[in-house]
Amino acid sequence: MLETFNSLMMGFAVAFDPKVFMYAVGGCIIGTLVGMMPGLGPLAGISLLLPATFGLNPIIAIVLLAGVYYGAMYGGSTTSILMRIPGEAASVMTCVDGYAMTQNGRAGPALAIAAIGSFFAGTVGVIGLMLMAPTLASFALRFGPPEYTALLLMGLFVLAYMSGGSMLKTLAMAFFGLLLGMIGIDVMSGYTRFSFGMVELGDGVGIVPVAVGLFGISEILMTAGQAEPPKVQRPKLRELIPSREEFRLSLGPIVRGSLLGFAIGIIPGSAHVISSFVSYGVERRLSKHPERFGKGAIEGVAGPESANNSAATGAFVPMLALGIPTGPVTAVMIAAIMVHGILPGPMLIQQQPDLFWGFVASMYVGNLVLLILNLPMVGLFVNLLRIPYAYLYPCVLAFCILGCYSVSNSVTDVWIMLAMGAIGYGLRKFGFDLAPVALGLVLGPMLELSLRQSLALSGGTYGIFLERPIALTMFVLALVLLAFALKPVIFKGKDWRAGVGLDDPPPG
Amino acid sequence: MKTFALKLRCAGAAVAALLACQGIAVAQNYPVKPLRMVVPFAPGGPNDILGRMVGQKLTETWGQPVVVENRGGAGGTVGLDAASRMPGDGYTVAMGGSSNLALAPSLYAKLAYDPQKDFTPIINVAVVPYALAVNPTVPAKNIKELITVAGRKAGYLSYGSSGVGSMSSLAAEMLKSMSKTDIVHVPYKGTAPALTDVVSGHIDMMLADLAVIKPHADNGRLRVIGVTGLKRSVAAPAVPTLAESGLPGYELSPWFGVVAPAGVPRDIVSRLNGAIGASLKAQDVVQRLASLGYEPLGGTAEQFAATIKADTAKFANIVRTAGIKPQP
Repeated sequence: MLETFNSLMMGFAVAFDPKVFMYAVGGCIIGTLVGMMPGLGPLAGISLLLPATFGLNPIIAIVLLAGVYYGAMYGGSTTSILMRIPGEAASVMTCVDGYAMTQNGRAGPALAIAAIGSFFAGTVGVIGLMLMAPTLASFALRFGPPEYTALLLMGLFVLAYMSGGSMLKTLAMAFFGLLLGMIGIDVMSGYTRFSFGMVELGDGVGIVPVAVGLFGISEILMTAGQAEPPKVQRPKLRELIPSREEFRLSLGPIVRGSLLGFAIGIIPGSAHVISSFVSYGVERRLSKHPERFGKGAIEGVAGPESANNSAATGAFVPMLALGIPTGPVTAVMIAAIMVHGILPGPMLIQQQPDLFWGFVASMYVGNLVLLILNLPMVGLFVNLLRIPYAYLYPCVLAFCILGCYSVSNSVTDVWIMLAMGAIGYGLRKFGFDLAPVALGLVLGPMLELSLRQSLALSGGTYGIFLERPIALTMFVLALVLLAFALKPVIFKGKDWRAGVGLDDPPPG
Repeated sequence: MKTFALKLRCAGAAVAALLACQGIAVAQNYPVKPLRMVVPFAPGGPNDILGRMVGQKLTETWGQPVVVENRGGAGGTVGLDAASRMPGDGYTVAMGGSSNLALAPSLYAKLAYDPQKDFTPIINVAVVPYALAVNPTVPAKNIKELITVAGRKAGYLSYGSSGVGSMSSLAAEMLKSMSKTDIVHVPYKGTAPALTDVVSGHIDMMLADLAVIKPHADNGRLRVIGVTGLKRSVAAPAVPTLAESGLPGYELSPWFGVVAPAGVPRDIVSRLNGAIGASLKAQDVVQRLASLGYEPLGGTAEQFAATIKADTAKFANIVRTAGIKPQP
């Protein structure tokens, strides 16, 4: 314990070195700006910046990239809350209630709670990382394809709690998302599916263009279709601060979201995206007033934002402890230090203590910097809403196109985004909820891949899911969840859904 | 009418002369504007590292910025397809590789570009050696023992790859067909997740870049059985080649090289070749490549063209023997 403390102190000495500190702050600022760019999320942010770090020393490089990563996570929530434009899959859920809060004139509290939740979650994540990294990492390694399948299946059942509208419409949208996920090269056979001969569709439809189109572009179209232009908001200073009630409601979701996000984050793979969806589902299920969700419930911002951030930190556990990338973001980070000839892995702590502890300490510093940077900025960001929509929305649209293009220099992505905007507009007119589409698209390809990998391993026998304890436990849990979700349907009993009212106008 | 025809002809001659002059002027002044380097993969991998290194060296040599453009997707074919449709004026180059320049034609019946017709080869840059690694619980210390273990029962062992039709799956299929074993293929999306599952023991073995395998081998989480090249790798001289240790004739040396869209004038090709070739001998480049375990190649543009041609035929043969059907 004392040793850890001493090492951490050494880490802080590294992190507060003026040069390193400057880069950490710079990374946070760049990240926030990148994240606020519609369509550009953490992955795009650090991929774009990666080449710039090749000339820096490795500690600075990784501290800078980590800053960009956190900053972009946070910046993404800003555009989600203010304009309903998700920067990445994880902030889709924030769009729903965050933007509803903005429309109710509570943009300030939503942003503030997102910042505070992120800070808390980041801190929980760093402490977990520091104290338990080696233990957790070896546990995380027990997650092979069968365990992954079970985990994703549990994620899929969260759908039941995600939308307040009719179950049929929710399922229809989820299936639409799953179908979108079928597009592209089938990893098992190498054949392309539903690509219509377009090479660019070979890798499938990206979540970012779809999410930005469905949520952001459709919102712009909806606004344009209103008979009267929406009133420009003039937020007062008093309205920027969350009320006592809002703090009270957010506390539970922040704590639960942080723990849940960290647990999901340490599992290798891209499962961390589902942490925000799961957190939203959990909060809605636990809430005494689930009908408020989708109409500006602060719990719907606090939970997913915290989960999202601690999952981001959790993802560093296997990376730092074992040198294994948990997902695309950590893979880029590993590339960044490998370029300097440093090989991540269990030896990293002994061979490069200043790099390891400097990185851990700079995560504390980065989280704090983001909080200090962003809380005062809430007022500034909210004032963006003062811009009349006639000027604001064309600019937003231009930035959406720019951001979407720059992720992989692909015009096809821009077309996908615009088409999804039109589809999203149509679906919302018919009262469909769009979040299940995003969940379907995220889960579909991962679930298919891990299911088929498991079956390839077992030679086609489903018994593989019953032989492995972790997978079996999760399957049982998933079945219990399913039973709870089905109970009201079968017994026609009183469901929380009954209180929501199926004929309510859809949120957003 | 006659005068008009004459005028036309004169004008034509003048334009031709002008164009010819310009052609010479282009070569003499080249490069007069920034170059573009298309990297057909996402940042961070060997293709990107080499592309940026070449770009940086060209900038240092010529004082013209080289803008690196990452266009990933579909195993590096999306980016090369885009590059093939750019002008062949020497201001666009791309970092190709044995996968998208030599293997792709046998895998995709409808590949959007013809690697040999749509590109001007410039120079082969480096070999990125592959190695065969197994999880330490697999009871085999060398390739002979591994073949025995795999031969116990069809599907006794499993191998991971970065995708169907990737270099890593081709390498394993080659191993299977040469050793007459049946090993289950479990494809992943990219090298990293596949390697993770070999380290954790969910799958048994994998062929991948030596550079990404080595750190795990050094701390005992993976056991390296052999390298795939004809010679041992400088980065791991203790590791035998697969050919010398029990699988004679097995050879796979994935390379990465610079190509340009078709129609680049000869003298510009030689200027590019000369500049990149010289940079591959520079001290910092040699050191950097050595730290990653990559082996610099160089050579003439003609030699590179011959390599592309030879490997295309070789891979087509492997694909046919392994029974992989090209995509319709």
